[in-house]
Amino acid sequence: MKQEDDRLPEALRVAARDYNEPPELSHSDLDDMWSAIEKDAFPKRFSSPSAPRAESREPRAQSRFSTRNLLPLAAVLLLGVAIGRFGLPRKQQALPSVAVRPAGGDSVAVPEPYQTTTSQYLGRTAALLVSLPSEVHSGRADDLLLGRAHDLLLTTRLLLDSPAASDPRFRNLLEDLELVLAQVVRLQADQGKGELDLIRQALDQRDVLPRLRSAVADISADD
Amino acid sequence: MTSPAVAVEISEATPYVSREPELIARVVAGDRLAARELYDAHAPRVFRLAFRLTGESELARELTQETFIRAFAQLGRFRGESALSTWLHRVTISVVSNAMRKVKRFRARETDLDEATSMAVETRRADPDLRDKLHRAIDELPEIYRTTLVMHDVEGYTHEEIANVLGVAEGTCKSRLSVARAQLREKLAPFAKEWLE
Repeated sequence: MKQEDDRLPEALRVAARDYNEPPELSHSDLDDMWSAIEKDAFPKRFSSPSAPRAESREPRAQSRFSTRNLLPLAAVLLLGVAIGRFGLPRKQQALPSVAVRPAGGDSVAVPEPYQTTTSQYLGRTAALLVSLPSEVHSGRADDLLLGRAHDLLLTTRLLLDSPAASDPRFRNLLEDLELVLAQVVRLQADQGKGELDLIRQALDQRDVLPRLRSAVADISADD
Repeated sequence: MTSPAVAVEISEATPYVSREPELIARVVAGDRLAARELYDAHAPRVFRLAFRLTGESELARELTQETFIRAFAQLGRFRGESALSTWLHRVTISVVSNAMRKVKRFRARETDLDEATSMAVETRRADPDLRDKLHRAIDELPEIYRTTLVMHDVEGYTHEEIANVLGVAEGTCKSRLSVARAQLREKLAPFAKEWLE
């Protein structure tokens, strides 16, 4: 940029940069603002079955499922994904994904504009649920991981409200993933040792992580 | 075997910028998911600009919300003649300016009511440092000069960007910046000769 002759002296320019220094926005700040925007700009969402945003910390999952059966459900869902029930086109052939399989006869139909987003979402969800056991096992459910779970829960709800969920089987999967992710996110709010112990116990008893890794390895071999 | 780390990298493979036109079209068709993506990409900068101009977190949040509500409602009219970020910042400036006019009117009434007591307190206070004086001087600039100065000298926008956002010629933008700086020099002259040399 051209230097102006009337530039302020260095000391003033430095001091001016502190003028109304904005705070950093957290995930939760962004989500709170988004809730208000969405309510106003897209009011229909709140008549849909996929839960008002205000209930994000009190997921409807609580009344229907306990922690003990949610995590095995997560494992079952992921293995279901892994054995090829999802026929999303693989646009990114060079980049393997745990969650996406070539199209088969029993594949779900996701409208084309949503395929990339859906594929990415499934990959992220799989990655998070794969890493969750070790995080929990070591007693670490850090902000980064739980923040990712929060984002994924939000994306799940957005997908539920979009044409991507028009296929009943995919909608069912999204609803189940919503339940699982809501339970994971709840760890952040509760910070309850008991919750972590229950999850750790459920994961250990069902040997979820090794089974999931085996499934991922099988898929890679198929490719 | 695919590791979780690889899967995460995959999810971030598609650059946002190349998807922006498609996202805009989807928002116009009522797609919330696309709207959220646009929001995630632009909200921090919009909030930043709103905060710089208002200095109040809660107000800046409200104005950020208002900006996106208005932007989503009007997105069908966006023709792509400027960058989406420029268009969004234009909406931001409009929303903030309207709000600040109301805030200033409200504060002016409050000042009238409290004038006697606050002035008595002011005279007993120690002088704030020059940084505070500078910030107060910026606060007191007329709105068009303050906006230009904040965008250029504080937030680092170029004259071209500011001109696009404000809908004025680049020359006008430079002229406003020059006036703003001159007013600051004048206001600070009694306090900080060494700063201005």
